[in-house]
Amino acid sequence: MSGIPGGGLSRRDALRRAAATTLAAARALSPALFAGCSLGIPPRAKTVDVGLLHSQTGPLAISATSLRDIELHAFEKINAAGGLLGRQIVAHAPDTRSQTPLFPKRARQLLDQGAVAVFGCWTSTSRKAVLPIVEAANKLLFYPVQYEGNESSPCVVYGGMVPNQQILPALDWLASADGGLKKKIFLLGSDYLYPRTANFIVRKYLAEKSLKPVGTAYVPLGDRDFAGVVRQIRESGADCVLSTVNGDSNIGLFAALAEAKVDPATLPVVSTSIAEDELRSLPPRQVQGHYAASCYFQSLDTPANRGWVDGFRREFGHDRVTGDPLEPAWCLVHLWKQAVEQAGSFETEAVRQVFREGLEFAGPGGTVRLDPKTQHTTKFCRIGRIRGDRQFEIVHPSPTPIDPEPYPEFAFPGWSVDWTKGGITRGAEVDIDGDV
Amino acid sequence: MNLFSPESWYWLYDIPQFRLSLLFIGVFVGFYWAGSILLRPILRQFVKATAGSNDIVGYVLSCFCVFYGLLLGLIAVTAYQNVAEAGANVTREAAALSALYEDVSRYPEPHRQNLRWLLRDYTRYVIKYAWPLQQRGIIPEEGTIRAAAFYDQLLDFQPQTPAEQILHAEVLRQLNQFLEARQMRLFSVKASLPDSMWYVMILGAILNIAICWLFDMRFITQLLLGGILAAYLGTMMHLIFDMNQPFRGDVSISAEPFEALYKRMEDE
Repeated sequence: MSGIPGGGLSRRDALRRAAATTLAAARALSPALFAGCSLGIPPRAKTVDVGLLHSQTGPLAISATSLRDIELHAFEKINAAGGLLGRQIVAHAPDTRSQTPLFPKRARQLLDQGAVAVFGCWTSTSRKAVLPIVEAANKLLFYPVQYEGNESSPCVVYGGMVPNQQILPALDWLASADGGLKKKIFLLGSDYLYPRTANFIVRKYLAEKSLKPVGTAYVPLGDRDFAGVVRQIRESGADCVLSTVNGDSNIGLFAALAEAKVDPATLPVVSTSIAEDELRSLPPRQVQGHYAASCYFQSLDTPANRGWVDGFRREFGHDRVTGDPLEPAWCLVHLWKQAVEQAGSFETEAVRQVFREGLEFAGPGGTVRLDPKTQHTTKFCRIGRIRGDRQFEIVHPSPTPIDPEPYPEFAFPGWSVDWTKGGITRGAEVDIDGDV
Repeated sequence: MNLFSPESWYWLYDIPQFRLSLLFIGVFVGFYWAGSILLRPILRQFVKATAGSNDIVGYVLSCFCVFYGLLLGLIAVTAYQNVAEAGANVTREAAALSALYEDVSRYPEPHRQNLRWLLRDYTRYVIKYAWPLQQRGIIPEEGTIRAAAFYDQLLDFQPQTPAEQILHAEVLRQLNQFLEARQMRLFSVKASLPDSMWYVMILGAILNIAICWLFDMRFITQLLLGGILAAYLGTMMHLIFDMNQPFRGDVSISAEPFEALYKRMEDE
């Protein structure tokens, strides 16, 4: 040991020793303290953004909020299983407040924030408002709600029923012995695109059978005053009502029907936009015995459905209900997941290419197939009678899934779509409010 | 990376508590030791010729430490108060939410069920989505939508009896308390000490260490004693840094009041 007279360490020796000791200590301790040279910071997961476009306040919230929840549930499950292509999905869900002008605005914001796909919209008006935005950005909109058809876009995947999968089978059932041989049909709807186009298709369909509706009425979306309409129904001599009334207007409709002591056994209402979620806000004594046409009911007694319903309720509460269009929304998320996995990319073109090859998903309501020609899904049609416990008794299921026809030939002659062969073939323009 | 922007240092909150503490101590002690080796010989030139220089430096250091210690103490208390206040807001919000949940349970159906699940949905959102965002210093926005949905649904209820009117009025009062506490929580997400306080603290620490370099003593003793002081300075800085952001780091507010409430909601 070198030193200086007097026994003390020289400055140079002290420095050398201090440096050697520090280095030795650092070498010994660093693996334990800073494992992986990362300071222990957990690596931040890579993410991918998606947008959920639903009305969480306003008249449509009664129906659309659960769509947000089931989609969040689907993404949470995917994330828990490791994410998609190694990324965690971050879902942004702004409120569109049941106001059509807000849908394109929010859609643009979502896409500007980097959303690779958008899930949502409820009314056809909102979907049509969003369409130019997703088309301009070349992104995909996954639309889970039943609608009127007469539309096809390469940027939209339609997960809900079109009239040939829902309304027309419901009419056939009403006209059958099981349905009570009902032929005097009153068409009632909210006043916007879906009910008007759907009723045009119904009028055309009835005309094919030399029938015509005994009356038609429209009420503004969100309106709850149905006393006059119910009087009109009574006076028309209708033996059934086909209702395309949407959102919480149904509260007013069924209250007015109950007030007028309309008996569902003699004058049933078959609704296309009522599911278990809407029944939460409808007193059972007012709706019991009426019907809904749907692709899915919570009461569907299959192991797959029971497991799905249990999973949703475990997550969101045991008083929550599933229904149509929650089931299509769930299927759409998983169809997108499958397509992204097969494409190995979130890019729209790559995902769409997978659509062209056809996809299938075993959903809670049965297997759905994404039709490569129309980008619509195959659907079961189920007619359910409303029970006192706010659930449906399935009185008529279609034996097999029904293929989608967005342009029924009798209503839109000359029109068809095949995205595997160039897209839409246009026929003559059709006036949906004109004579049939 | 802008070193003067607080956001540039937020990654430090992702480091586990123990390691962050070692990092702070390491940086301060390292700075002191490095200065002792590189700067001390130069700085000592200014006081070397003065008789009793250690007494003078010791006196200056004592005076300085009094002011600096007071400053650090006051800042630590302020930071702790911020955390405590944010914690109280969280508890107040959860308590108001719990009271709301109880009150709306007395509403007639279907309002009862709808209002209850909207509150449950809000609570779930706060736990699952809002808290992770808050921990990253982001103000969660979608809770506002859920609160608005509850408000809308509540206004849909028309009391029919005097009892319902009293209950409804109480729920509206409770709702306002809840909204107020919620807003306070959101304000706390970005609450932190002003930048100027950090500048003063860091400058004070540097000067404190620099004064120690002026002592005339054996080198090893210098490293040891100054190192102890620097290590404690690092610990203090770490404490203040940890409490600076109420929802970040290990000394942060947890979502426990909401989790307990959600569990109760689910059990019902």
